[in-house]
Amino acid sequence: MIEFVELRKEFGTSTVVEDLDLIIPAGEIFGFLGPNGAGKTTTIKMMMGVLEPTSGTVILNGHDIAKAPEEAKAQTGYVPDQPALYDKLTGMEFLRFVGGLYGLDRGDIDERARDLLEEFDMLARAEELIETYSHGMKQRLTLSAALMHRPRILVLDEPMVGLDPQGGLELRQILLALAAGGVTVFLSTHSLSVAEELCDRIGILDAGRLVALGSLDELQSRAALRPETAPRDASLESVFLRLTGTEDRE
Amino acid sequence: MSRGPSLGLLVAPRLLAARHALRRSYLKAVVLVAFTAAFWVGCFTFFTNVLEFFQTVTALGPLLTQRLLVMILVSFFAILTISNIVTALTTFYLANDVRFLLAAPVSRRRLHQARFTETLVASSWMVLLFGLPVFLAYGVVYQAGPLFYGAALATMLLLLILCAALGVIITTGLVLVFPARRTRDALLVITVALVAGGYMTLRLLQPERLADPTEMAGFMAFLTSFEAPSSPYLPTTWAAEVLIPLLGDRGGDPLFYLGMLLTTTAVAYLASAGLVASLYLKAWTRAQEGEARSGGRRRLASWLRPLAAPLPRTSGLLLVKDLTVFFRDPSQWSQLLLLLALVVVYIYNFSALPIDDGTPLAATLREVVAFANLALAAFVIAAVAVRFVYPVVSLEGRAWWVLRAAPLSLRTLWWSKFWIAFLPLATLGEILIVVTGRFLGVAPEQTVVFMATLLLLIAAIVSLGLAFGAAYPRLDTQNAAQIATGFGGVIYMVSCLGLIAVVVALEAWPVSRLFWHQFAPFPVTTGEQAAIGIAFAGVAVVTIVTWAVARSTAIRHFARLG
Repeated sequence: MIEFVELRKEFGTSTVVEDLDLIIPAGEIFGFLGPNGAGKTTTIKMMMGVLEPTSGTVILNGHDIAKAPEEAKAQTGYVPDQPALYDKLTGMEFLRFVGGLYGLDRGDIDERARDLLEEFDMLARAEELIETYSHGMKQRLTLSAALMHRPRILVLDEPMVGLDPQGGLELRQILLALAAGGVTVFLSTHSLSVAEELCDRIGILDAGRLVALGSLDELQSRAALRPETAPRDASLESVFLRLTGTEDRE
Repeated sequence: MSRGPSLGLLVAPRLLAARHALRRSYLKAVVLVAFTAAFWVGCFTFFTNVLEFFQTVTALGPLLTQRLLVMILVSFFAILTISNIVTALTTFYLANDVRFLLAAPVSRRRLHQARFTETLVASSWMVLLFGLPVFLAYGVVYQAGPLFYGAALATMLLLLILCAALGVIITTGLVLVFPARRTRDALLVITVALVAGGYMTLRLLQPERLADPTEMAGFMAFLTSFEAPSSPYLPTTWAAEVLIPLLGDRGGDPLFYLGMLLTTTAVAYLASAGLVASLYLKAWTRAQEGEARSGGRRRLASWLRPLAAPLPRTSGLLLVKDLTVFFRDPSQWSQLLLLLALVVVYIYNFSALPIDDGTPLAATLREVVAFANLALAAFVIAAVAVRFVYPVVSLEGRAWWVLRAAPLSLRTLWWSKFWIAFLPLATLGEILIVVTGRFLGVAPEQTVVFMATLLLLIAAIVSLGLAFGAAYPRLDTQNAAQIATGFGGVIYMVSCLGLIAVVVALEAWPVSRLFWHQFAPFPVTTGEQAAIGIAFAGVAVVTIVTWAVARSTAIRHFARLG
């Protein structure tokens, strides 16, 4: 379970995230949407303890990220928006390193790394330096690293960027399987079709404020775009544009 | 139809970035200007003195002047050519924005002009900075007319452009044959090895002999017989033939040689432009090819893992990761060559000191040098730390998130980085103190005091390195040498020197009172004992407080890195 408690972040005089209150239960796939600059990545960085909030906190599976960061992080896998890795390590070495950081048993690390590399179709290039990988391969390696320690919470910031259609499909299947196993998935994405397909609930952030929260049906009701009255406009895209005011602005 | 973007537009991003960098920190700009001015004044004074001395040597003076000028020009030419090859490799083939420019409606000719300008500026500004006070010194000492200054400037600019053109031509040829990254790595290692080798050679030639008038004569004889490459086909010969007659030493035809230099430079520039226009896409495509797999990787990992076995798990992991990256990155491990040169020269300096003739003066000299050795060893450690410890945070690069997202406290991370840096530096420092102490015949008690002091100093220096490294991170560059030469690196070095000065000042009196031979007949009084105790306690307090403050600063900055 993920709990945001009055989470707020200010940079100088501008408020990037404004008093975010939100609870995401275990096993849910939560879609986090918003226009560019809405504060999604800042929220995720605070959730992962890599950025200090101005006030408020995030509780990951009962562990406050500010008070017990190690315990909270041990529960969580993280895929950032830009998969910067150690270019001079091989894929296998990187996964061994990450496995060690998360306290996996030495004996399990290699087996787990091989399984993940195989699952993400990277085993053949496991011993090559990361600097020779394509963007998509780095993205898949980052996903493998996030899953190494079998996290109970998975936080993904734009995970579909750089993945080919096959990779995207595999990731969607993996996320559904993880959620079925009780893993909470927090998914920030610009791909509205992915959110529509995968997410149990969706939160829309605009200018740092959570302007909408609920299932797709609930959001459609809120935007007064019932499928039965306007089926062509009933897409999440329409809801998103209506709720964030982007439609009017354009 | 538009003629495409102008040269100004293409180089604008670099200029704007430089302007923004300066605007962000006026202090940085002021410090840089101050350093540059100090360097200029020092360089000008040195060359003025040397040239004035040469003028006193009536018969050989003019010859020495000319030989020195040729030596300088040949050195400039060699340094510039290598520097341009390395820089062109980055600006033309490895920079991130080349792909963007290739996709834009930019003609090859314009692309060449923009990248050529960047290469020229990036690899030449330092030589120009060094060269201008040298030529100014020549002009002042020889009371040359304005024509000399104009010709010196023109000659220098033409040489710079010629070297840049050669650099672009050679680089393009290399990239067509070898993968670009391999070429860059090889050039980097060769450059560092040349610098380290040159430094050692210069020291082992015993330049201190020049202080002796008889030896100075020997040096002049060397310079007189110096067979600098002076083929009539070499651009450096033409440059010398432009400048020497204008100094008034002898006649010549400077205009002809300036013409030679001008036309050759023009041809070289056009050749580089033609080469880029016709082969650039092919060369750039080759440059994108990655490195094939290598069997050496597994050997490195299997060698490192047992090394980390006795350490706590996280420290061991970080050690293996850091060392693996270190030994796979030539910009990092090649620094070891410089370190080796530094250590060899340092130890050689002590073995060559004339302090064993048994006179009281020699004994005093030995005691003074032994004490100075503490400061010098600490200085060497600081110089090594600026290369190896200060860049540690920056070298994590944009992958810093991996550590921050892991269940790893910032304190644990700091301790891991601290031990990884402290243990090898402490070993190096203690070896330096013990070995040089033996050369100097230092009493064992004094060596023990110095070893303890140095341990405290090294702990503080390492802690400062992590703090400054985290406060001035350069996560966008992976070149360790570049990171060390940044503003934060300079401030770090200055802070280390300040700390060393304070510690040395605190220990000066107690060490001399306890160990110097002229005080030996007088027993240490109770009052003196107390004062000595306070001084040593002062050393401990200063170093430990520095260590602790730097540690908390580093951890605070670790948290901000995100």
